[in-house]
Amino acid sequence: MSSPFQAMLGSLMRLRGVSATLLVDEHEGMIIDSMLQFGQDGARVAALAASLHRKARKSAEAAGLGEVAFMELEAADGRICAAGRHDLVVVAVTSSSANIGLVRVELLKAARGLA
Amino acid sequence: MTTHAVEAWIEAPLARFVEDARVTLALLLLPSGQVLAQHGFTRSLDVASACALAAAIQASGGELGRMLDGRAFTGLHHAGQDRQLFLAEARTRRGTYIFLTVFDQESSLGLVRLYFDEFVANLAAAAPEGDVAVDGVLAEHFERDLNRNLAALFGRA
Repeated sequence: MSSPFQAMLGSLMRLRGVSATLLVDEHEGMIIDSMLQFGQDGARVAALAASLHRKARKSAEAAGLGEVAFMELEAADGRICAAGRHDLVVVAVTSSSANIGLVRVELLKAARGLA
Repeated sequence: MTTHAVEAWIEAPLARFVEDARVTLALLLLPSGQVLAQHGFTRSLDVASACALAAAIQASGGELGRMLDGRAFTGLHHAGQDRQLFLAEARTRRGTYIFLTVFDQESSLGLVRLYFDEFVANLAAAAPEGDVAVDGVLAEHFERDLNRNLAALFGRA
């Protein structure tokens, strides 16, 4: 079944090096919609990425920095990037070779488009 | 806040779940309502009440699932204003247990479900061999066993 978010997730998935995109409820840590490659554990990524984003948002608020616009977690073999609006977070899992600047722009654009 | 278990093999998996999922309360009990382990409770009366209610909810949910879907519902989530409840079955070779946990804004349903799956796997791996009849509770022993377990958890054994 197609959801209103498939086009947005699909355009992110077409970026080089992006292996998974998810729209996650930040409060519940549950997937609203996703595009994953075979074998990826979307529920696990969603729960942990939502938790990270929530903690980043609270940290930024506590430090008086305002809203979190973009979050990037860099690991040995890739990155988890997230941008949120209201209670929703768009998450992209990328390889190390992904064009992170482009991923950032597209994630922010996707987050701005969330209702 | 510490984790206490009637049987030692339960304690490590439960303590790890509590730490990973950042929940405030956790209970592992038999389908009969007898407590086996708890985290976060300070009064035995609260544990006894929560166990009785959890066992009743699980039994009702199971029966409702059989009526509607042909098989028992095995999990339940209830969201309150500040706190949320997650109730589910945990199966091991020793039998089926009921797991109840309560969490607040420090955690989320996604995290709880994620770490619950790991908890069940850890519990199943830790369960010792042997034919302990955890499901076969005799009615005449119920209150005695219930009180013994509560006393063990709250240091009055």
